[in-house]
Amino acid sequence: MKIEKNRVSNKIGTHFLNFIDKLILLTILFLVIIFIFYPMLSVISKSFIVNGEFTLDIYKSLLNKNIMLLKNSLFVAILTTLISTLLSIAVSIYISFTNSKYKKILTTILMLTMISPPFVSSLAYISLFGRRGFITHNILGFTANTYGWQGIVAMQSLGFTSLNALMLIGVINGIDKSLFNSSLDLGGNSSHTISKILIPLMRHGIIIVGLLTFVRSLADFSTPIIIGGSFNVLATQAYLNVVAYSNLPMAAAISILLFIPAIIAFILYRIFLKDSNIITGTNFREESDETMLRIEGFFPRLLQIISYLFLTMMILQYLSIFISAMTKQRFGTMYFTFDNIKESKNYISGSFLRSIIYSLITGVVGSIIGFLISYYLEIRKIKGMKIIDFISTMPYIIPGTFFGLGYILAFNKYPLELTGTGLIVILNCIFKQLPLPTKASSAVISQINPQVTEACKDLGAHDIYILKDVITPMSKSAFLISFVNNFTATMTTIGSIIFLVYPGKKLATLVMFDAIQSGKYRIGSVIACMLILITLVVNIIFSKFLLEEKNVY
Amino acid sequence: MKNTSKILILLLIFSMILSLAACQKKEASDDEGEIQEEIANEGENADLEGTTLNIVATSESYKEFFDKFTDETGIKVEFISMSSGELLSRVKAEEGKPMADIWFGGGLDAFMEAKEEGLLESYISKESEDIPAEFKDPEGYWIGKGLTIVGLLVNKDILEENNLPMPTSWKDLTNPVYKDEIIMSNPAISGTNYAAVNGLLQMMGEEEGWKFFEELDKNIPYYAKRGKDPQLKTMEGEFAIGIIPADKSAFDLQEEQNVEVVFPEDGIPWVPEGVAIFKNSQNLEGAKAFIDFMLSKENQQILAQIDGKDGAQMVKPGVEGYDLGVPEKRFIKQDLSSFGKDREPILERWSELVGDK
Repeated sequence: MKIEKNRVSNKIGTHFLNFIDKLILLTILFLVIIFIFYPMLSVISKSFIVNGEFTLDIYKSLLNKNIMLLKNSLFVAILTTLISTLLSIAVSIYISFTNSKYKKILTTILMLTMISPPFVSSLAYISLFGRRGFITHNILGFTANTYGWQGIVAMQSLGFTSLNALMLIGVINGIDKSLFNSSLDLGGNSSHTISKILIPLMRHGIIIVGLLTFVRSLADFSTPIIIGGSFNVLATQAYLNVVAYSNLPMAAAISILLFIPAIIAFILYRIFLKDSNIITGTNFREESDETMLRIEGFFPRLLQIISYLFLTMMILQYLSIFISAMTKQRFGTMYFTFDNIKESKNYISGSFLRSIIYSLITGVVGSIIGFLISYYLEIRKIKGMKIIDFISTMPYIIPGTFFGLGYILAFNKYPLELTGTGLIVILNCIFKQLPLPTKASSAVISQINPQVTEACKDLGAHDIYILKDVITPMSKSAFLISFVNNFTATMTTIGSIIFLVYPGKKLATLVMFDAIQSGKYRIGSVIACMLILITLVVNIIFSKFLLEEKNVY
Repeated sequence: MKNTSKILILLLIFSMILSLAACQKKEASDDEGEIQEEIANEGENADLEGTTLNIVATSESYKEFFDKFTDETGIKVEFISMSSGELLSRVKAEEGKPMADIWFGGGLDAFMEAKEEGLLESYISKESEDIPAEFKDPEGYWIGKGLTIVGLLVNKDILEENNLPMPTSWKDLTNPVYKDEIIMSNPAISGTNYAAVNGLLQMMGEEEGWKFFEELDKNIPYYAKRGKDPQLKTMEGEFAIGIIPADKSAFDLQEEQNVEVVFPEDGIPWVPEGVAIFKNSQNLEGAKAFIDFMLSKENQQILAQIDGKDGAQMVKPGVEGYDLGVPEKRFIKQDLSSFGKDREPILERWSELVGDK
């Protein structure tokens, strides 16, 4: 601190620049508190206050009726987390070390299947494996009962794995490859190197992936609705309390009940993170395409088999979505047609354009806010920024419907009357996804050598100039990653915005949701295919950018 | 490049602050607009052309109907589809602020609840004179747009596979041979299935009725959480019998799969689908114009086409719809007021009966 005070820069820093600096910082504080903390508080208070009086009644009846549901939710979430994490470890290792020709194809499949449209996947599952399922009934010739927790766990595990595997591939890319060489040179075989060197190095990434899966499974209401049968979970109950029973206080209370295990998992992760500092040196610049590890020996072969099983399932599932978009049935026989696409025109009208615009705005603004938070956190190390960072991570671990509910409750009256506007949807998406850009920026910014910023200061640069001329240009890749992530998330989001959209402000995902809800499964499939295509195109274009960006270094 | 990023960041931050401020301003001007509109409405011939009417509908399929309204009146229609329950939740969350001007379709019980809570505006259209009293609210808070009638969808493949007889009445469904072969939606979620429960209780009488549901429950493995599930899952062959709203879309399935729509012999439960104007509507005159439009004979005809309804299912006498062979005589004699006032006790007793299914 003493050195700081004596820096030339602090003496010649103009008031104006200091003012700008403070303004940016305060704006961020203000935004995070208003758009994350306040809505959450609104939900919590809703569950305690009935008719203007403080009461615990709701929690009493909640605990009486829903303990079983809580157990079910946790049971499913834990199983899903285990299976999906194991699957994604296998897939990511296999794809990372297979030869580059397959690598591209397999990564594209992962990207394609990263988006799992609500309901559609579950319905595809029924049409493949249900009582009259294409595989179970038509090919294998038996009648299966697909309803229950098995179906939920299977669908969720498969559905979350693509995104998880992509994240882990990113982690593997960041690991210093020379470690594998050393291991191989010292006589370790592939199996050994993977289990003793690679997987321990992936630990941090694996924990994050596990945590995210756990939270997403807890919050998922759409899979259990379709294939849960008589097996109920909390997320479904919360959703039904809004859409069927119109019991908001109960919905709020159930959401809070869901939030508790999520926050416990999150805090455990934070504690765990503290004493794991192996991976923090993620090196973005180290990029050697040589595959030192070969897929041979028992363990790598096992990974290969698991990967192919997983990919086959994914291809089957998405193929069946695609087929249902392009076909109709007549007297039990399927025929090819463009009718669904024509019919879907009536549904779409303008909603796709709106979705794309909202996603672009969310991508840009979200990346900037996330970047600024990580700047004040990592470089400036401003006191209290840790708390802001913690709050801004909350939306990611709370159920989407909880966050959406918070927005209606918080922003329906003066001075922040936003309900009914498009802005509330955009704000919801930006802040719901804020952890993505913040974490991506932090990963990049923490790589910047502190000596660089020190040097700038010694040369008399004001913080603002350092931010603008040094940090920002060095964080381009973070911007790109954040933008793509945010774009994808907004394009495919549903849970948190479903209660916020007004007549005339429909988004593509909601139109799909409506089509499927009213039994128009095939039209839902058409819209799902279009969503997947758009998102895939944007992902591919930007990952191209990203690769070029890397070569600059 | 040097300055652009800084400027960009600042611009974005300021634009966000500005847009927040703009929202408040816009709201203020909306209020003014409302007052002006009210003044304008004092005069009889308010010019409605160019105004916007917001509608909450039950499905996206009404777009053409709304387009026709726009063509005839010049009033632009924006609409969104959602369930009655969700709508009530949102109106409650926003403390009575209406999210639209018109509420178009949905189970009558929700309309009765909304009327009770003072969320609706009364309007008695001239066009409603010849509509039978049982299809409209005496005080004009809601009006029926057509009837949902409850029938069975039967998957004949599954019947054959398991050697099951064709069900012809509600009583048949309690036959133990249908164990795990029947699907119905949770009546708290599905308006159609609530109509089935309420209607059958009225037909069979309290005691007998509850006994029937207790027996039926033994054949139902779980209650679906979406209104459309019984139809979808029976068609997919997941179940042999689904309890469904019998309209043309169900009859159309007969061409897609080996399924059949059955009207039970012992009675058909029915419920009007409501239409209402929200209290504090931003475009009250436009909303009234819409109700008039909807109730004209010509447009009732179009509505019958879109909804796939038989003439017997329309509220206005003499409207021709599809000929679905709906046996009007089998309609259960129902006291509709029970739909609203008995809803809570019925659903409570029902959920005690079925437990956690």
